[in-house]
Amino acid sequence: MHKILAVIRREFMTRVHTRAFVIGTVLGPLLMGFMFVLPILLSRRETAPKQIVVLDAARGEFGRLTAERLRGEMRDTVTRTRPRYRITHLAVNPGSLQRVRDSLVALTGSASEPTRALDGVLVIDDTTLSSGRIQYLGVNVGSPADMSALRRALDPLVKSARLTEAGVDPIVVMGALRPIDFQTLKVSEGRVTGDSGEASFLLAYVMSFMLYFALLLYGIQVMSSVVEEKSSRIMEVLVSSLTPFQMLLGKVVGVGLVALLQIAIWAGTAMVLTTFGGQIATLFGASPATVSDLPLPAVSPDMLIVFLLFFSLGFLFFAAAYAAVGSMCSTVQETQQSHTPITLLIAAGLFCMFALLSEPAGPLARTLSLVPFVAPFVTPVRYSFAPLPWTELLASTVAMILGILGVIWIAARIYRVGILSYGKKASFRDVVRWVREG
Amino acid sequence: MPDPLLRLDRVVKRFSGHTAVRSLSMSVPSGGIFGLLGPNGAGKTTTIRMIMNILTPDEGTITLFGEPASRAHADRIGFLPEERGLYRKMEVLDHLAFLGETKGLRRREAQTRGRAWLERLGLGDWTKHRVEDLSKGMQQKVQFIGTLLHDPALIVLDEPFSGLDPVNSKVMKDVVVELARQGRTVLFSTHIMEQAERMCDHIVIIARGEKVVDGAVADVKREAGARHVRLTFTRNRDAARRVLLDRALVLRAEDHGASAEVELAPGTDGERLLRALVSADVGLSQFAIVEPSLESIFIAKVGPAAATAVAEVTGA
Repeated sequence: MHKILAVIRREFMTRVHTRAFVIGTVLGPLLMGFMFVLPILLSRRETAPKQIVVLDAARGEFGRLTAERLRGEMRDTVTRTRPRYRITHLAVNPGSLQRVRDSLVALTGSASEPTRALDGVLVIDDTTLSSGRIQYLGVNVGSPADMSALRRALDPLVKSARLTEAGVDPIVVMGALRPIDFQTLKVSEGRVTGDSGEASFLLAYVMSFMLYFALLLYGIQVMSSVVEEKSSRIMEVLVSSLTPFQMLLGKVVGVGLVALLQIAIWAGTAMVLTTFGGQIATLFGASPATVSDLPLPAVSPDMLIVFLLFFSLGFLFFAAAYAAVGSMCSTVQETQQSHTPITLLIAAGLFCMFALLSEPAGPLARTLSLVPFVAPFVTPVRYSFAPLPWTELLASTVAMILGILGVIWIAARIYRVGILSYGKKASFRDVVRWVREG
Repeated sequence: MPDPLLRLDRVVKRFSGHTAVRSLSMSVPSGGIFGLLGPNGAGKTTTIRMIMNILTPDEGTITLFGEPASRAHADRIGFLPEERGLYRKMEVLDHLAFLGETKGLRRREAQTRGRAWLERLGLGDWTKHRVEDLSKGMQQKVQFIGTLLHDPALIVLDEPFSGLDPVNSKVMKDVVVELARQGRTVLFSTHIMEQAERMCDHIVIIARGEKVVDGAVADVKREAGARHVRLTFTRNRDAARRVLLDRALVLRAEDHGASAEVELAPGTDGERLLRALVSADVGLSQFAIVEPSLESIFIAKVGPAAATAVAEVTGA
């Protein structure tokens, strides 16, 4: 035990002391902060309003009303200072519609005269109200954000125009068309927790990705450090003082603790950012409301424990496998193909997590919780939707532990032979023989 | 003889296709320096790895400290492998502390001992430097210290002097001799016979996985027989040459003019040659019966093919 602790300590200290760790740890939150601030900065930047011509060939007031309504569309909902569109209302008679439209299209997105260039043409004619057909020709039709904003603005206009035409009082129409306020509240164990569904989804999502990246990043670190020990021949000394099991477990746990430390630092930063998000947004000159639109996940202590437990179990499982691959290779280049199966398993875990998002308590989800290499992804995510009964949690943990014991048993056997074989990379058949004879 | 510290009994190790060690038996007595000699590829490293419990023998048994060899003995053995290596990014003293800990020492204790050893071997100013900042010779010293830190009863050194310059080589040799004097047992392998001849109390020579010579160095030499004579004469060279050409007395002679090295013919002895030379009145100024070198014994035992291998390796 003392020896394993010595190995853990060495792995931990030498990693934490490297420049790479410090840079990675600092850059992580910086990157996170940047991703947080970037949208604020971007939304603040003056994007020029879209130049749009409302080409109106319809009788009545509908075209004019549409133009007016679009003029009132704002890019930010709070201060209402930045118009989304610059609208020109152009009434034409239906006969010349085609001709005028074509000449306007010629101006649209023209590079020769950028100042006079149009972004798009909105065509309204007599059939619009009856068929609901409105044509928009523009350079930005590929942008889902732009198109849904336009659609959202136009849809109620057409509806209210139809109702008004049918003789309904415009005030009644306005009242009737007010959008609904859809509230979602999460219930767990018969109590309303107050979280929004969006928040728990986000939480699950973020956690799975954290696990995914930590496994890839640190798993590969474990693997290459085994190869390094082999190529620097320090292995020859270690192998005379430590058992393969001690070396393997010490390394995996040591690196795992580094991963946990880094994630703890990042998670702390994320919590500060979300808690004081409003103030930070104000610092950058945006309104606090920009931030409050973000669904903030509330992490409960039991959720955190489950996440940490499965993170650690998952790490042990995959890192041991990575270590075994490292012991089979003599150079870092060789490991690059050899670790693909493990990397694919990790990706499979992530995809399984997505697959059960629609039914986190279904039979598929319950089965996946018992499969060692997917459980670290699946179980915490299921827990984030609704706390699992302890029997299920226990079953998943036990399955995970059995899986880990199996992997470490196999890995230690591969390790035992692998760490002293140099030169030719071990073939699959060799490895099977090592495990059998171990 | 008291119970040996280490005993190999008909140990066999096969690797796919060839047998690296064939039915090797040897006993390493407690205390002193024991040499495991042989050309490259003779099976020295494989034997040592089996002693260190890194490889398991296919047949035969290994006994350490009077018990079947096992992992449990690891902390009582210091091992310097043939291929040296350290963690390049670690600080020297930190590294030694870690090596000590892997042998069961407390960290604090390992640091204290490490510092003392570094001081002793002239590396006192380097404790806080990274291993990669040290010269190759210094790194070898650090690893050598790592081998001794936990004060092992048995010290196993695989080719300890290869790649060392004469100064460092002497520093290490002195430490080894000192340890042996204090009652530790040192087992070291080498392919350089001269070195073993100077240091070892006891040797085993193996070739192609088989033992060819086993015994105390003095006994081995005596057994090989004192058949070589070095002589110098001051006059009457022609008469001297006639004596040296007498096949009844001399098997082979290397004539240097005023001196010669000769190998006695079978069935004769030094005294008869001396008598012949005296009666030839050659003005003898030196007549010495010399012991054969281990190298010549080795060549005689394993044949010229292996001998060439040794010559190549020694020259390299």
